[in-house]
Amino acid sequence: MSGFAENLYAFGAVVRRDFHVFLSYRTRLVSQILTSVFSLTLFYYVSRLVRVEGFTTPDRYFGFVVVGIALVGVLYSCFAVSETIRQELVAGTFERLLLSPFGGVRGAVATTVFPLLYAFVLSSVTLGLGAAIFGLELHWPTVPLALPALVLALLAFLPFGLFFSALTVATKQANVGASWVIALLSIVGGLYFPIALLPGWAQLAAEVQPFTPATELLRHLLVNAPMETSVGLALAKIVGFAEVLLPASLYALYRAIRLGQRRGTIIEY
Amino acid sequence: MSGVLTASDFEFELPAPRRHLPMPLSLRGVSKAWDKGRVPVLNRVDLDLDVGDRVRIAGRNGVGKTTLMRIAAGLIDPDRGAATVWGTSAIEHPERYQRLVSFLPAGDRGLYARLSVRRQLKFWARIALVPRGEVAARVEEAIEIFNLRELADRRVDRMSMGQRQRLRIAMTFLPHPDVVLLDEPLTSLDGEGAEILYGAIERLLGKGGALLWCSPAGEHLEYEFDRTYMLDEGKLVRE
Repeated sequence: MSGFAENLYAFGAVVRRDFHVFLSYRTRLVSQILTSVFSLTLFYYVSRLVRVEGFTTPDRYFGFVVVGIALVGVLYSCFAVSETIRQELVAGTFERLLLSPFGGVRGAVATTVFPLLYAFVLSSVTLGLGAAIFGLELHWPTVPLALPALVLALLAFLPFGLFFSALTVATKQANVGASWVIALLSIVGGLYFPIALLPGWAQLAAEVQPFTPATELLRHLLVNAPMETSVGLALAKIVGFAEVLLPASLYALYRAIRLGQRRGTIIEY
Repeated sequence: MSGVLTASDFEFELPAPRRHLPMPLSLRGVSKAWDKGRVPVLNRVDLDLDVGDRVRIAGRNGVGKTTLMRIAAGLIDPDRGAATVWGTSAIEHPERYQRLVSFLPAGDRGLYARLSVRRQLKFWARIALVPRGEVAARVEEAIEIFNLRELADRRVDRMSMGQRQRLRIAMTFLPHPDVVLLDEPLTSLDGEGAEILYGAIERLLGKGGALLWCSPAGEHLEYEFDRTYMLDEGKLVRE
């Protein structure tokens, strides 16, 4: 068995572990689907209540915001890995990962996979419920293209979770400022309303993170929303962010673990 | 003599240790201070474990036994010195090192509360990069050896402390390491659990492994060690 195959098998083990732990909490899926239904209901009536500049009909804004709601779940999942790492530090299982040939960095990266898969399923359910209950019009010819686009976007989103995981390993506190960052990204990423409504300086912030082009591209593919830029440019931005941020975040996590091992604080929680 | 030959019909003579070869476990000049400028908890500690060695480290609470074990396991770095297994450095080649060493930390941590015993063992076998074709057999072997059959499908948070400790020990031996480090392994174990542990150690040593055991001074042990060291004021002193 080659080293790559061995590691892939170990990655699969982490995903299966998280899946079985998830299954042991029987009401979690139901409660999260109900949360999606409540969000959809809220924004469906908001779209009927308010006339938003740039949207010709209430349904256009509803389609816009449903994709945003679906992506917020993905955004939260990316950051959730730091909370999971914190739990593993407390339970002593992160220590065991470090004491395995698979190691802490690969273990942490593998820990992100199940939450992201689950977020993808929940996002699909949200879109499906939006279509089934509230008449959301999905643009079926391009919907399948949203899957590879989302995978690409995840590679650009994931580093945020890994940076926060590095911070968790170093400070022993989960989500130090993560909720602020998620709130900020959901605003400047245009998840709930168009970034054109934001003041000029805030629009600049929309340009320096991957959520804006990813959200715009996915909206275009899922509900045929018009794009400010071209598909090619949005893709180039997402790839660029992933290329820069992913290695940087992996290195940060590696350094945080090594610092903990050198100081002896890796065993603290 | 019957026509069937058994292992007892042969006399094996193990070769004398070849000192120029790397040892299964070697700690050289290991020092560690928790606060800079204060007296180090470990002060230039040297320790070698040869093939088949059973070595115990004893000492008062807080004297640095667990710190030494963690350094030997490659979990934390020494300020000075090095831990090697068969010449492989814990810091320079952590993946290779962790394939050779297995560490049971003190306490009852390191388990996923909501996973069953079998899933837990399977997970750690895969994380230990046990070859895919051997995982199922290793898991069943561990269940058998550590008498976990009745508990195999039980979740960890529904098990007693002694049962959890048996599972933790099973996880430690499951990857078939060359060197096993046990930090207070008898915690919560009953007599049967202790006997199972001693049997696992004998099998390890029979296959050419080595054992480093750590427990507080004054603890009565029915198990015999080849060497016992007291750790005091950062130094190992042979008893």
